[in-house]
Order: sequence, then C-alpha cells, then structure tokens
Amino acid sequence: MPNAGAAESRLEREIVLSAEGLTKRFGKREAVSGVSFDVRAGEVFGFLGPNGAGKTTTIRMLVGLARPDAGRVRIRGLDLARDFERAMAHVGSIVEAPDLYKYLTGRENLLHFSRMLPPGAAERIEELASLVALSERLDDRVSAYSLGMRQRLGIAQALLGNPDILILDEPANGLDPAGIREIRQLVRRLAGERGIAVFVSSHLLSEIEQMCDRVAIIHRGRTLAAAPVAELLERVASDVVRVRARPAQRAAEILAAFGPTEIEPEGAADAVAARVPPEKVPEALRRLLAAGVDVYSVERPVPSLEEIFLEITGGETV
Amino acid sequence: MRFPGLVENEILKISKQRRFRVVVLILVVLIGLIVFAQSRGRERFRRGKDWRVQTQERMAQIQNWLRDGRMPAASQRWARFELGRLQYHLERNMDPEAISGPLFARGFANAASYLLLPLLAIVFASDIVSGEFQQGTIKILLTRPVRRSRVLASKLAALLLAITLTVLFGGAVAYALGGIAYGYAGWDAPVLTGFRVAGQSFDPAGIREIVLWKETILVYGLAWFAALCVGAIALLTSVVLRSTAASMGTMLAALIAGTILPRLAPSWDAQKYLFVTNLPLPDYYSGSPPPIPGLTVGFGAAVLAAWALAATAAAFAVFARRDVLA
Repeated sequence: MPNAGAAESRLEREIVLSAEGLTKRFGKREAVSGVSFDVRAGEVFGFLGPNGAGKTTTIRMLVGLARPDAGRVRIRGLDLARDFERAMAHVGSIVEAPDLYKYLTGRENLLHFSRMLPPGAAERIEELASLVALSERLDDRVSAYSLGMRQRLGIAQALLGNPDILILDEPANGLDPAGIREIRQLVRRLAGERGIAVFVSSHLLSEIEQMCDRVAIIHRGRTLAAAPVAELLERVASDVVRVRARPAQRAAEILAAFGPTEIEPEGAADAVAARVPPEKVPEALRRLLAAGVDVYSVERPVPSLEEIFLEITGGETV
Repeated sequence: MRFPGLVENEILKISKQRRFRVVVLILVVLIGLIVFAQSRGRERFRRGKDWRVQTQERMAQIQNWLRDGRMPAASQRWARFELGRLQYHLERNMDPEAISGPLFARGFANAASYLLLPLLAIVFASDIVSGEFQQGTIKILLTRPVRRSRVLASKLAALLLAITLTVLFGGAVAYALGGIAYGYAGWDAPVLTGFRVAGQSFDPAGIREIVLWKETILVYGLAWFAALCVGAIALLTSVVLRSTAASMGTMLAALIAGTILPRLAPSWDAQKYLFVTNLPLPDYYSGSPPPIPGLTVGFGAAVLAAWALAATAAAFAVFARRDVLA
C-alpha cells in the first residue's frame, strides 16, 4: 500500500512516461482533450474513469496504436512519434483484452514476441513463466487457458523486453476476486522489487485505491491533475456516515443533533444515514452508546467516480 | 528486431493454422480427382481407335462447325487455332493428345494458373493481416519495438514463401499422381509450343519445339509469378478490409469476374488491363488463343507486375499510417 515515504522520494525519481496535451478527435467529437500526466519509476499510476471516458483511446495513443491529433508521448524522454522503435523498447503493454495467439501454446506465444525484441528476451521466458505462475501450463495451447491465465500470460509477454513501464488496460476485467488479487500483488511486486513504473487503467475506484500510489481521473476526455490516492479521497470524502444501530429510530434522533439524518428506507431496516463531520464521529458514537443504542457498524460510503469528479471540478464541465 | 526472426514468426503462424492443412488437402484431393476423371475419360474417348483416325475425325468435325457459320467470333478463333494445331501434329506424326506424368504436371500449371493457384494464394493472403485484427493480436504486434513497415514486410516475405511452396507442392503432387496414371517418364520429350492465330488463319511461324522439362519450368514460373501477384493484391484487401471473410470474398469475386468477363464481353478491349484477365500466363505462353486478341506473355506479366507493385505500395502506406482502434 502507498505510504508517505514513497510519496516523498517519488519526486526525485525519473519520469518514465509522460503524456503532454494528448488530444484525439473522431470526426467532430473530441474523445480525448489535452490529457497530460507523468508516470515515475517504481510507482503504480492509476488512470481512473467510467467506461467511455477516453481511457482506452488515451492508452492507444500512449503505445502508438493511434496518432494523437495534438500533443505527444515521451517514453524516457524519447518522442514516441519520432523514435518509435527505441521508445517502445522500454514499454510492455496489454491493451483492452490479453489477446494472444490461441492456436499457439503459451511458450510459442512468448517465443514469437521475444523475436520482436533485442536478443536475450527468449532466455527470460522460464523466469517470467514462474513469476506469473504459468510454468506448468506453458506448453498448453492458449485456447485452453482461463481468462486469468491469459491475463498472466499477457503480463509475461509485456515483461519479456525488461520494460521500464508496464501499461495495463483494465487488468481486472472479467477476473474473479482471486484473479484480481493475484494481479494486484504482482503489480505491487513489479513496482516495488523491480522499480518498474506501472500504468493501470480502471473504471473501479476500489481497484485503483488498493493498487495505486497516484491516480489521475479522466472524465469525458479530460483529466484532473494526478494526486496520491489518499489525498484524492480526502478531498472528496463525504461527511455522510452510515450507522447500523438498534433501535434505528432512537439513533436517528441522537444523530440529528450533528446534521440532517434519515433512516434508510428499505433493505437495511437498522441503518441510519447521517451527516456527521469526521471529527465529531467519536462524540456521536459515545452519545449513541450512552443512550443505550446498540451499534453494529459505522462506515463512510465511498463516493462514486461521478461524485468525485463533480466534487473536484465543481460540476463545471458536466 | 532481426528480420529473419520476424519472418520466422509469420511462417510459424501460417503453418500452425488450420488453413495450411486445408490447402494441402485441397491440392491432393483436387489433383487426384482430376487424374482419376481424366484417365477414365480418355479410356472412353479412345475406345481402341488409332489416334490418327481420331484426330482426322475431330478436324472434320471442327471444319463442319466453321462452315456452319453460326459460331461466335471468339469460338471461331479457337476453332481455327485447334484445327491448325491438330494439322501440325498430324503432319509430324505426333499424337496431339498424348499424355505422360510430366505432361500432366505441365498441364496442371496451365489449368491451375487462373483459378486454383490464385485461390490458394488468396487463402493465405486474406488472413495474414486481417487475422491479427480479428484475434486482437495486432495490438501487441504493433506495440513492439519494430516499425510497422517491417512487420508488414515480414508478412509479405512469409506470404511469398507460402505461395511459392504451394506452387511447388502442387507441381509435385500433379507429377506424383499423374505418374500413377500415365507413367513417370517423358521429361525429355519434345513439345510444340507457340501456336497462334494471325488474323483469320492459323499462323505456324511462331511454333517452336522445346524439351518438356524446360517448358515445364517456364510454365510453372509463369503460374508462380501470377500467383505471387494475386497474393500481393490480396494482401492489400486484407490490410484495408481488416476482415478475412470480406477480403477473401472480394478477391474471389474478382477472380470469378475475370474468368467470366472475356466470354461475356470479348469486345471490351480495356479488360486486358485488369489483373484477372492476365492470370493465365502459361496459356499465353503455350499458345492457347488468348481471350482478348493481342495479349502476350510479356504484356500480361507487365500488367500483373504493375498491379502487384501498386497494391503493395498502397498496403504499406495504409498499414503504416492507420490508427488501430478496433
């Protein structure tokens, strides 16, 4: 998990990937408008946005699949448009789905892509296979792999060239919870142990929150300045507290002293939603207990992406 | 990085796909069928008659048709040509329909040059780029530190190799299976080539005698060249359409149109600039009357080469620039 020490030393680390004012138009519609950010060595950078916000279009520009109409991508200082081969030698990526050759085995796929890299990549195949826990299935055809195995083979493929930056587009899509946890641990290890910069896109805040050091939010083709995840959450933290307590009626009366309160209508009969400023929560709890109310849980609901974006931009662009 | 490695990749992908085995199977089954049908047909055709008598009978029949005067112009040209050819053989005491394994192999190249070999070239070429789009692997292929033009060049090289092997394999199968029916000997038999029609009459001036194995090499070379050119054009449709089915359908339609057009509209002169009209290069060389007057091997090869080069240039231009969004 991210911590303060990492945040401080990050500033001295090298910028591996930088997007400068990326813009992409499809006809009259501007799918991506002036997107800029830097990703530094050893950090996991989250790129968060709802589906259709321009995430995949941005990623396609980052890896040279699409040409930006304006702006540019630099990888370790190399201009992607002008120095494609040298720049891409530092990048490993999975764009959208981990699509590999299904009629080839895992090993044949890795050999295939190692031939597109400088000599020596093929010698890493065994090591990478064990890193992504695929050693035993490496000689099976990819058509027999589960989605999670394909995702891991895709990551092994992306790591073949010893990249400085790994770009993963929605790596958790379609995976079961165990698969998601494996990917998350792998990403943290790659950043922590190997110092690789990892760029991860997602439409789920919870996923980004658990995996990333910093996050940029994209909405309708525009991004907000990247910030550490905790800071971002702090900025938008709602002061609504959800309390499960019995009797709910009595709890609502007590909490009403701190702000507007309501008993949640259906589903959870014992839940009360109340606006309580964060610093007043302990006092509110003491009063509930003193009044003989049984408290089962207290939580702060995570705001939705849409809410975060509205909160930060003040709603001006929406 | 290294170009041979990239070509190796493309060959690996072609050879591991099912279509490769299908092509091999098509060639073996089809040639086997032709050999079988032809040898049965000849048994009935000959019925123990002397070939001289039979040739004379056939000539009389053609002369009757010509006298009848109801033949369309294109058929008349063919009839005069056939008449001259039979006459020429008869005068030299050679059986015009004699066949051997080597002759069958040569004949296969003639027959396969305008439909079968181009079709197999299309089977390989149509998928070679669009397949990567359909599988989604294009996203990895084009995000490796290899320029797009080099990726496409490696695909082109593998495609040309696959087509070359297909033509060679087709020839080998034709000889092997034809030999079962007609014997394997006869590579050094003399053959007559260069029959042509000048104006209204048969023109023997261009007739040459050539050893069969030399002519076979020439004929296969021409069929190979035509198939390569079709492959290059199909590569363009594969790049542009990004769908194997659409690409294959387009090229098939062109091939079929090319076999129909000269028959339906023989007077439309401009069709000699279409690539499909020029695919039967081996026929033009051996001297079958071309579907459109004035077509020669040199002209046909030049037209095909121009189409192939233009298509290749266009394929590279499109492939290098276009965004990959699908």
